[in-house]
Amino acid sequence: MCLGIPMQIVDIDEFTARCTAKGVERDVSLFMLQHEALARGDFVVVHVGYAIQKVTPEEAATAWELYDEMIEKAEAIEGSRHA
Amino acid sequence: MSSAREWVERIRVLDLPRPLKVMNVCGGHERSVTMSGMRSALPSSVEIVPGPGCPVCVCPEEDIYQAMQLALREKVTLVTFGDMLRVPVNAPKSEPRSLVEARAAGADIRPIASPLEARRIAQQSDRPVVFFAAGFETTTAPVASLICEGVPDNLTFLLSARLTWPAVAMLLESGESGFDALIAPGHVATVMGPEEWEFVPQTHGIPAAVAAFNAESLLAATWSVLRQKVEGRCFLDNCYQALVRPGGNPLARQQMDQVLEVGDANWRGIGTIPASGLGLRSAYAEMDARVRFPDYNEAGRRRMGQMPPGCDCARVVLGRIYPNQCKLFGKGCDPRHPVGPCMVSDEGACRIWWSGQAA
Repeated sequence: MCLGIPMQIVDIDEFTARCTAKGVERDVSLFMLQHEALARGDFVVVHVGYAIQKVTPEEAATAWELYDEMIEKAEAIEGSRHA
Repeated sequence: MSSAREWVERIRVLDLPRPLKVMNVCGGHERSVTMSGMRSALPSSVEIVPGPGCPVCVCPEEDIYQAMQLALREKVTLVTFGDMLRVPVNAPKSEPRSLVEARAAGADIRPIASPLEARRIAQQSDRPVVFFAAGFETTTAPVASLICEGVPDNLTFLLSARLTWPAVAMLLESGESGFDALIAPGHVATVMGPEEWEFVPQTHGIPAAVAAFNAESLLAATWSVLRQKVEGRCFLDNCYQALVRPGGNPLARQQMDQVLEVGDANWRGIGTIPASGLGLRSAYAEMDARVRFPDYNEAGRRRMGQMPPGCDCARVVLGRIYPNQCKLFGKGCDPRHPVGPCMVSDEGACRIWWSGQAA
């Protein structure tokens, strides 16, 4: 539950940002990051719908490599269980 | 950054004084350690031990029981993170023994993935809505943020929020901590700042390093703490500088401080840990479900507060035993039929090890 996911900001409306990652879009609260200058195209780490920190595009890409790998393994396990 | 292979090689050439145990205290770290196969790549003299990293696993049994009773008897809509739904309580067989069973008995219980959903559900409902929120700092900060921003009158909070570092302090002060070095949790430190973990080297002489969630960062942190051991030094290293900054997220901490206060708190199967819980300040009593509703935990309820019979989750949480050393692991306890909370939660070491075996 303490794992944040990097997402890219598509649009900002006051304290709510439309964010995207892997083709999935979500509304994300920026209420904990009001002190950061955030703009479209920026990356934030999102945990339970809240942006907890701004990150560089490089860090976002690195984190996604790991999550892709974990998702792949989890799907393989689920697949083998249901086979 | 060096590759995982290079970090493993660096660890292999360290001249360790003796076999060493490195504890992590984050379910996300443990999942990455297990799924990456890191343990088998490390020398046999280095053990990675999963410690207290699962808030669902230590959520008091009496809080889950109370949440069930609020939904069943007070007719509230109860919302909670999905991980909580199947955690068993010690009720008689004739009664619901988890939130999911209470829901089957007619209670309105809904899993949510974000505090924002709790607010949306309350806004769309005429009924009282109770948000049963168990979590460590990373999850509790958004709950505090939601309260600061404002919530509808019909939304109250049953908080089972816990702080991570006091459990580590308790282990270190017990005199038999069971570990020689610590990997500190990356996203807890992102919010709260790495400074919270400085007591580990400064007070206890134990090397520590904050890590991210990829194998490279976890191995870098492992190498850092082992090298500290070899060189007879100890300090808090930061192997997650991209996110973990001095002071953490200052606004998040300010919002937590505004609505929450620290108090002694019960950890399931473990007992009370001083100054390890967060509850709503009295100024926010009107949104505190513990104030607004009666306590349904009648004194003398059988096995109140305990782990289920035969379940060794408490010792797993404390890193005293590995998940597969519990006699129920895979024999009567698996994710489809979990006996204890560590097999229910995605962050529970038992659940992670069970998944890892199949990987």
